[in-house]
Amino acid sequence: MHRRTLLASALAAAAALSLTACNDDDGKPAAEVSGGTTAKPIVTLDSPIEKPDLVLTDTSGKKYDLLEKTKGHPTLIYFGYTNCPDVCPLTMANIAVAVKQLPPAERKDLRVVFVTSDPERDTPAALKKWLGGIDKDFTGLTGKFDTIQAGARSVNIGIEKPVKKKNGDVVSTHGAQVLLSSPKDDKIHWMGMQEATSDNYTKALPKIVKGQNP
Amino acid sequence: MNRRTTLAAALALTASLALAGCGGADGAPQLKVADPYMPQPVDQNMAGAYFTVKNSGGTGDKLTSVTSDLSKDITLHKTVGTKMEQVDSLAIPAGGELRLSRGGNHLMFMGLKKKPAEGDKVTLELHFATAGPVKVTVPVKAVTYAPKK
Repeated sequence: MHRRTLLASALAAAAALSLTACNDDDGKPAAEVSGGTTAKPIVTLDSPIEKPDLVLTDTSGKKYDLLEKTKGHPTLIYFGYTNCPDVCPLTMANIAVAVKQLPPAERKDLRVVFVTSDPERDTPAALKKWLGGIDKDFTGLTGKFDTIQAGARSVNIGIEKPVKKKNGDVVSTHGAQVLLSSPKDDKIHWMGMQEATSDNYTKALPKIVKGQNP
Repeated sequence: MNRRTTLAAALALTASLALAGCGGADGAPQLKVADPYMPQPVDQNMAGAYFTVKNSGGTGDKLTSVTSDLSKDITLHKTVGTKMEQVDSLAIPAGGELRLSRGGNHLMFMGLKKKPAEGDKVTLELHFATAGPVKVTVPVKAVTYAPKK
């Protein structure tokens, strides 16, 4: 290697270095590694499970027997809370976008049930107001936390009693999945994962309301 | 100039170029905020917002608080599994980034002065442990908006 090439390569290194150092100016990370396998956003269960046997209070303050009211109807059930800026409104809004694209008859047949995991703060009035901002046809349910937790547990959804920390912050839990049941046998056959987008629901719902695998 | 000095000069140039390119690879945190967004909130009670803070400096920093005309009550949150917890600060490592994203770290605004609608802009000021405050203009997106990963 003579002097000229050496100089050239040193200058090339200079350029490369200054480029790498500023690489993140383009607004995107240089590289991102996501999980090894891509989980399906809406999963079909091998063994369907029974809907939770919950008798709670709806947004107008009336008794709501979930099994009775949703019998024979395709049903989506989600456990969450309204003091939640992130996952809960996103999940419900994704479902709302998909529901709006169903034909009117199927839309009327479908039941979307939001069960609060923070019943102390989510009164019927609070639920009504919040769901009104998403889709006023959705059902909101509240009641005793222990009853709601037992119902969630029966469908493998873990929620914990909200805890108030010293700084006044209340830590609540939302369910990890949306449960979707078939109108044919009233059993839960599908689960919407947290990653499921409005497009995923838009594609899946027309099948699910007929009791078919998406 | 013999070969050795030429090479040394070129390498010195390398160092100065790298420095000039980024305004200081060592020392103080060098912060830059990218991709801010606020999904249109469901009601006036509460909103969330997200962005990425990149640090090209040689020292880590922390996001300690956020202020805005939209709300007096803005807190930092992290999501652990299916729970969200308020935290006092979020770390921005040296040469790394702090990413706020749906289902992860986020800002929580309570008691909004008005409900922002899609297309609006919200102005935030981010405060850090070391670096000076940074003003960010955050576009309000659809309630279902999430950037492609």
